[in-house]
Amino acid sequence: MRCILPIVSLILCATTAASQTSSTATGVSREFNPALSVNGLFLGQTSSDEPTAEANGIGLQEAELQFSSVVDPFWEADLILALHPAHAESGDVEGAHDHAGIELDLEVATLSSRNMPAGLGLVLGKFFLPFGAHVPLHTHQFPFVRAPLAIQAFLGDHALSETGVEVAASIPLPWYSELRVYAVNGDAALFDAGNRDLACGGRWMNMWETGLESTLELGASLLAGPAHPHHEDGEEHPAGDLRVYGADLAYKWTSSTRSQGPALSFRNEIILPDPEYGEHKPWGYYSLLQYRFHRNLWLGVGYGEALKAHLDLHHHEGDAGEEEHEAGDWRELKANLTLAPSEFSALKLEVSHIEQRDGDFEDLRLMLQWNFTIGSHPAHKY
Amino acid sequence: MSRNTFAALVLCFLALAGRIPAKLRIAATLPDLGWIAEQVGGEDAEVTVLCPGPMDPHYLPAKPSLARRLARADLLVYNGLELEIGWLPLLIDAARNPRVRPGAEGELDCSTALQKVLDVPEAPLDRSQGDVHPLGNPHYTRDPRNCATLGRLMAGRMAELDPDRAEYYRRRAAELDTLMAGLIEGWERRAVSIAGHPLIVYHRSWIYLREWLGLESAGEIEHRPGITPSPRHVGRLIKKAGELEGVIVIAAQWQHIDAAREVAQRIGAPLAVLPGQTGALPGAEDYPSTIETIIERLARAAGETVIHGEE
Repeated sequence: MRCILPIVSLILCATTAASQTSSTATGVSREFNPALSVNGLFLGQTSSDEPTAEANGIGLQEAELQFSSVVDPFWEADLILALHPAHAESGDVEGAHDHAGIELDLEVATLSSRNMPAGLGLVLGKFFLPFGAHVPLHTHQFPFVRAPLAIQAFLGDHALSETGVEVAASIPLPWYSELRVYAVNGDAALFDAGNRDLACGGRWMNMWETGLESTLELGASLLAGPAHPHHEDGEEHPAGDLRVYGADLAYKWTSSTRSQGPALSFRNEIILPDPEYGEHKPWGYYSLLQYRFHRNLWLGVGYGEALKAHLDLHHHEGDAGEEEHEAGDWRELKANLTLAPSEFSALKLEVSHIEQRDGDFEDLRLMLQWNFTIGSHPAHKY
Repeated sequence: MSRNTFAALVLCFLALAGRIPAKLRIAATLPDLGWIAEQVGGEDAEVTVLCPGPMDPHYLPAKPSLARRLARADLLVYNGLELEIGWLPLLIDAARNPRVRPGAEGELDCSTALQKVLDVPEAPLDRSQGDVHPLGNPHYTRDPRNCATLGRLMAGRMAELDPDRAEYYRRRAAELDTLMAGLIEGWERRAVSIAGHPLIVYHRSWIYLREWLGLESAGEIEHRPGITPSPRHVGRLIKKAGELEGVIVIAAQWQHIDAAREVAQRIGAPLAVLPGQTGALPGAEDYPSTIETIIERLARAAGETVIHGEE
């Protein structure tokens, strides 16, 4: 999707039209135009160990355009388009990639029911799979610049967005409890796109209010689908089924005595892929702690590991899931300071260290990310 | 996961999710509105409040656990004018309750009862002006004269949803009207001592209070809503306020009291920390005691400062 000029022009025309509220000469009211917003995410970084241009430079990380509206009495619709740098391999030199323009991805295109009975929710279309706490996040919502290693290794480092159907229901328990199940096409890199078996899964999320100011969240996730083909002895073999299990635990606290006062978020997630062919069972986890110590300032630290995992960090985003490299044990340690002068902009300074144990990979990286939001952007989930 | 397992899971959710609400259940976004709904609904109404009293309703975390309360509601009463824009749409989505979705009969925007919305921007808006409310100032419950109007609005909607008790709701709204008229008369008598004292406010959440009591504004510490005030702006405010007599600095208890206190100290004015809403401070357990606390604290602050013409 390199020829994006016509699409962007169309979007800009729609944006211009939506900014005017009066009816048109044709009699078609503009009051019904969707809410529009744009989020821009830029990243400057330098690496002590990765000499590639990608790891040393400044550029667009992602620009996201969001359209949201009620369709009719029965449905609401959301459309999210993500623009990000495209990459093209130059020659046959492994790891040598150049930016090659801008790529457009359809991240979300959903119809959500407004009137399902018995508190049920129904979503049709393309959506982020509800696996764990991190996968459903948009890139500009990530607490750190990059997704945790365990997410990159086992679920892909960019939006696990699939096309299908999702059903959600509240479970009548004394605490907040919600179950989401889905069946999707299974086109993501971690699946075998050639095998048209559906990918299915679900997430069971529970939340307890542990006080006026705090909550405890416990979730369990499952994702099952056709596994990506397995490479062995230079040949490709079918890999059978892939199951990924996950569990997540989060504690959040916000001061009730001061608006925009101290707040804390402590998130933990464990991911256990279970490919049918696998001899060694990979697994990974991460812990992220964020603390707002001043009205506009957040401090974050994170640690995570991906064990017996195939990670190709020399390559560009989207390569996770390829299995041409020997599995290894990886770990990361990162810390950041975020300045958010308003709800609509943020500046993040981050240092991260990733290493492969008993391997030759090590990456110490300093990153500066800035982020802005304009337009009618929906509030972020808790 | 086989298709059969998936289908069984879906059927299981359908069975678990079935619930039938037994009676009129009201979810109010704010404690002020919750108190009015309780007065109108009486003993037969079950009222739940989403935003706890001590928390600033601008920044309430949209906990999914709050959506659980909304999921059971027959009627949602909310402040409107985009005060709850950061969390109510998320809770409505998470609740998946068609009875209270926008446009449904069980959705009631209380700001529609107002005869006059203050602070409606006349010039074009953009975010350089901070986190502004484009539909006007939403803090109208600081003027208790709106209470009876809100009660009548709620009674009308309750009557539509529960026609068998329509007369009961209307009668209770009329009783609320009478109660508030008496209380307002007393508060206005006591507020005479506050008259003539200009107010410096932290955030523009007291404009309806000023309008009710006829108080002048001496400025805002938070120059642009939701944005940390700059030292330059605070310096200008202090200089301007230093030329006035009898200034009182006021802030809700959840606002940045340290900044308000510093301004008060530098201009030698008293600081009145006021309950931002019902339940925000001890002694402000319901709506009348909240307004009572506000009047009492303002009167006390007025007693600490002098206007030469009144000596």
